[in-house]
Amino acid sequence: MNKEELITKLKTIVQPYIQDEEAFANLSEETDFINDLKINSANLVDVILDVEDEFDIRIENDDMEKMTSVKAAMDIVNEKLAVK
Amino acid sequence: MIGNDIVDLKQAAKDSNWKRPRFLDKVFTVEEQQLIADAKNQHQMVWLLWSMKEAAYKVNVQQFGKRFFNPKRLECEFVSLEKGQVVIDFETYFTSSEISKDYVYTVAVLNPKQSYKSEWFRDKKLEISKQSDHLQNRFLKALNLDLTTIIKNNVGVPKLYCNTKVLNTSFSLTHHGAFSGYTML
Repeated sequence: MNKEELITKLKTIVQPYIQDEEAFANLSEETDFINDLKINSANLVDVILDVEDEFDIRIENDDMEKMTSVKAAMDIVNEKLAVK
Repeated sequence: MIGNDIVDLKQAAKDSNWKRPRFLDKVFTVEEQQLIADAKNQHQMVWLLWSMKEAAYKVNVQQFGKRFFNPKRLECEFVSLEKGQVVIDFETYFTSSEISKDYVYTVAVLNPKQSYKSEWFRDKKLEISKQSDHLQNRFLKALNLDLTTIIKNNVGVPKLYCNTKVLNTSFSLTHHGAFSGYTML
């Protein structure tokens, strides 16, 4: 999957939870889930579960720990897909 | 250092489904999951534990300046339902919670003997940015300091500024749904 496809998929996943439309419209690799998109931290659990379901992967808590931005989420998804 | 977290239980029921597969296992230790399973009001117990973890996390970020997302690593223990401890690595945070049918509110501190000021209030349903502004204004008013503003640092910890000088007041702000709260040492 190329970068754009991955960002598009992540964008669809986070959409139901975002609380800042402008940051969502300008979503990029640098976007932070909590500081920029204002996703509440409980919904970040949902984002991670949705990512697991969408890509059919499992994210361990040690990996989840870093997943606070689009970039970090992309890295972890790519890592998991590579070993599938 | 001090941290707080409020959960609007009605809002939480709308926003999150903790009964979805794997949700509890991502967030809670085996012991905590047992506490939830045994609780009379499971929804309240889920969010009480959550607010304890979140309040303790806020102190941890102030201490070490490093963000992370791993609620399970913050392990809760109860002394009573309103008093508890949250342990992560070698740190222990002491928590005091208020529990009602509408909200749970927790304050976490490093030193259990230290006194602090804490207040929560019910807000009109505002959009999130306005709710945050309203909470900040209310906190600044309670401080009774002129010319102060709040700016978040690079790890999202709010700091008080007077002109361009940062003040070392330790405080924490929280809002969720219809509820907001602030606390300070």
